Amino acid sequence: MAVSDRALDPVGGSGAPDDARAVSFTEAATDVVEAIVVPNTLWTPVDPAAYGPGTAGLNADITHLREFEASGAARRDDARWSGALEIVPTKADYLLDLIRANSLWPLLSGLACCAIEMMSTATSRNDIDRWGMFPFRASPRQADVLIVAGTLTTKMAEPLLRLWEEMPEPKWCVAMGDCTCSGGRFKRSYSTVEGIDRIMPVDVYVPGCPPRPEGLIFGMMKLQKLVVDRRGHWPDRKVGPTVPAGL
Amino acid sequence: MTTDARTPNPHAALDDPSIFIEDVLRESIVEAVPVGRTERQAEFYTLRDGEMLLNMGPQHPSTHGVLRVVLKIDGERVVDIDPVIGYLHRGVEKLCENADYHQAICYTDPLEYVSSLFCEWAPVMAFEKLLDVTVPRRAEYIRVLATELNRVASHALTMGWFALDLGGLTPVLYSFIERDEIMEMLTALTGQKLLFNYMRIGGVNGDLNHEFMSRLGDWMSHAARHIEANQGLLNENEILVRRARGLGVLDEETALRMAVTGPNLRASGIPFDVRRAHPYSVFPELDFDIPTRREGDCLARYLLRIDEVKQSLRIIDQCLHQLPDGPVMARVPRLVRPRPGRAFAAVEGPRGLYAAYVISDGTDQPFRMRIHDPSFVHLQLVGLMTPGNLVADTMAIMASLDPVMGGVDK
Amino acid sequence: MDRALRARLERRFAERLTGPVHQRHDETEIRIRPADVGEVLRSLHDEPELDFRLLADLCGVDTGDRMQVVYHLWSATTADWLRVVADGLDRESPRVPSATFIWKGAEWMEREAYDMFGIVFEGNRDLRRIYMPDDYASFPLRKDFHLADDASRSPGLGVRPMEEAGAPVDATPATLLRRSGAERA
Repeated sequence: MAVSDRALDPVGGSGAPDDARAVSFTEAATDVVEAIVVPNTLWTPVDPAAYGPGTAGLNADITHLREFEASGAARRDDARWSGALEIVPTKADYLLDLIRANSLWPLLSGLACCAIEMMSTATSRNDIDRWGMFPFRASPRQADVLIVAGTLTTKMAEPLLRLWEEMPEPKWCVAMGDCTCSGGRFKRSYSTVEGIDRIMPVDVYVPGCPPRPEGLIFGMMKLQKLVVDRRGHWPDRKVGPTVPAGL
Repeated sequence: MTTDARTPNPHAALDDPSIFIEDVLRESIVEAVPVGRTERQAEFYTLRDGEMLLNMGPQHPSTHGVLRVVLKIDGERVVDIDPVIGYLHRGVEKLCENADYHQAICYTDPLEYVSSLFCEWAPVMAFEKLLDVTVPRRAEYIRVLATELNRVASHALTMGWFALDLGGLTPVLYSFIERDEIMEMLTALTGQKLLFNYMRIGGVNGDLNHEFMSRLGDWMSHAARHIEANQGLLNENEILVRRARGLGVLDEETALRMAVTGPNLRASGIPFDVRRAHPYSVFPELDFDIPTRREGDCLARYLLRIDEVKQSLRIIDQCLHQLPDGPVMARVPRLVRPRPGRAFAAVEGPRGLYAAYVISDGTDQPFRMRIHDPSFVHLQLVGLMTPGNLVADTMAIMASLDPVMGGVDK
Repeated sequence: MDRALRARLERRFAERLTGPVHQRHDETEIRIRPADVGEVLRSLHDEPELDFRLLADLCGVDTGDRMQVVYHLWSATTADWLRVVADGLDRESPRVPSATFIWKGAEWMEREAYDMFGIVFEGNRDLRRIYMPDDYASFPLRKDFHLADDASRSPGLGVRPMEEAGAPVDATPATLLRRSGAERA
């Protein structure tokens, strides 16, 4: 396999502005996530009509999901009052947010060195079981908080975003460590994403390389306060670098 | 059961007694990835009937970081395994080429983040060879002291993770107690908790201080007892022993052919330790054994690490007694411009031979900084040892090989 | 610095070495042609008086005008590390025989050299990208691949020594001195 004669372009493009490399996920908040359709060639049902009218034909084209997402019904949190009552904070809201704040279950998403500090936070010496956060869930379906601990690389960006999308709402995101806040010491690298806020909305930034367990605990306490203060509404969640482009 | 006459029943072979079913099954090979990729990919992604591809990771509680493992399983037995790495590739070698020699040390820290002093030591040794710098003896002793402490902390973590991957959630808490104590010590010495940034070209960053020595003295007084206690917690545990004994056996010849080093090699019977085979620093003056085991299975690798911790305690004790006086850093200029040349330096890390190969072209930036990490090489063993075992044994084998994905992915 | 090792190597590989055996500190280095890699490594591995059975490292190097593949070996017969440099690979199409016939563990190290440089190892059964995604188009460690903010430091603009690293691109030594003098005044 011969290396071609054309100049080997660097990934970012030398001289291209920084946000040319940022993945354009700013529209992801309203767009429908494309279902990953894998044609089923391994198994065919004997009777194609046996599984309901929507599944006739074996190219699993889940069209009903698209309409469901477009109507906005999927974005509603069932535990909130709807319509005009949304702007009225109720005692039920307050209680629910207290419940959520005191039992935030993190997702095991330790990528690199900060994961060791996250584990250190979870173990006996700095114990976040005091705040109800000990169960680190392995499945995103059961988790509340995504504590991204460690450098995010371009190869890992897609799986991490999938994890975030798979988490059911209400969910929060904590960027732990310098690499997730801004790229950290690997900001110049060709294969890292400079901060996870380029691809997902972040609620709490915990700086440090790695942050001490006390720092992460402080960040989680801030998150608890945020959960209670926001009362479940997060209208200003933006995806994108917090530093203006060009800086 | 309605059968449309126009679309023939694909399962007719099951009903028709004149068709020999084994012939049909043998031909039902499904290509999950188009052939035309590498030989190994074609071999792996060709599924026979009854086999299934199962994807583990990159987010998974047991993969020691971001490792993706594609398993080809037949029921519960693993037939083949394909590890996919690169989810933590941060381009450290390229970053080091664009930084000074002093700055490059900061990039090498987060490679094997649980034992980061070794990750700094090998490149620093290579730089010192390029510059012909002699490190003062006190600095060498402090280096050995700090790195052996880091080795104990790393092995404590490994043993906790081994039990965690086998399902025991408690031992990891005990190992983190040990580890946090050592980390407090090293914080007092270096100022940092995990990525120490303590080694400098020509020595170390700062001398020992009172807080470090008092914490070290306290810890040494009960370290051996704690190790015995933690050992008693796990070594006789029937579940651990029955699961780990005889699993993932690695014999001597295979280990050498797979370029394995470190505890994985010593557990297979070959007493190769860089500290004795190619001595560096002040190890010729220190008295310690090289523990070796013959069985080469997961249990042997686990028990060997406990033996190594005991040897590390011996080394720390000797360092404390033989510590000479003097400066802790040689006189090295701020602007480091070595003559053009090449240098290779290897240290014995907790996972194996950790080496750095540095090429200098006369400027203030390394021309090529190559880091050789043992976890990278050892991860190939997973593909060798897992087929034939159950899915749950994959975790046990991986935990016993002890990869750290920061080092694997650089 | 093992003189006996040097004598043994010169005697055994006399015609295959493309340069003198170079020794510095505790390393011995030999340079060979890429085509001889298979035979030289096999001799080093199999012969009992050489017995270099441990492969310590395998890496690629891009020197700007050519590529190299560097092997580091250890043997119990000598106190030195042995470095085997397969020099003179073409930068446009670098090919070298694979070492996986001798050390199966070299497979991933060769994959890494392929991923970072584009060096094709003939005989490696699994030569695909290992660090970068499969559809990545460049080879990152090559010297013509620049990090995004290092385009200003590319050789086209001249190599800038460290003292000027914080200064604007068009600063001359005179302006630098003037600036530091003003700060002192």
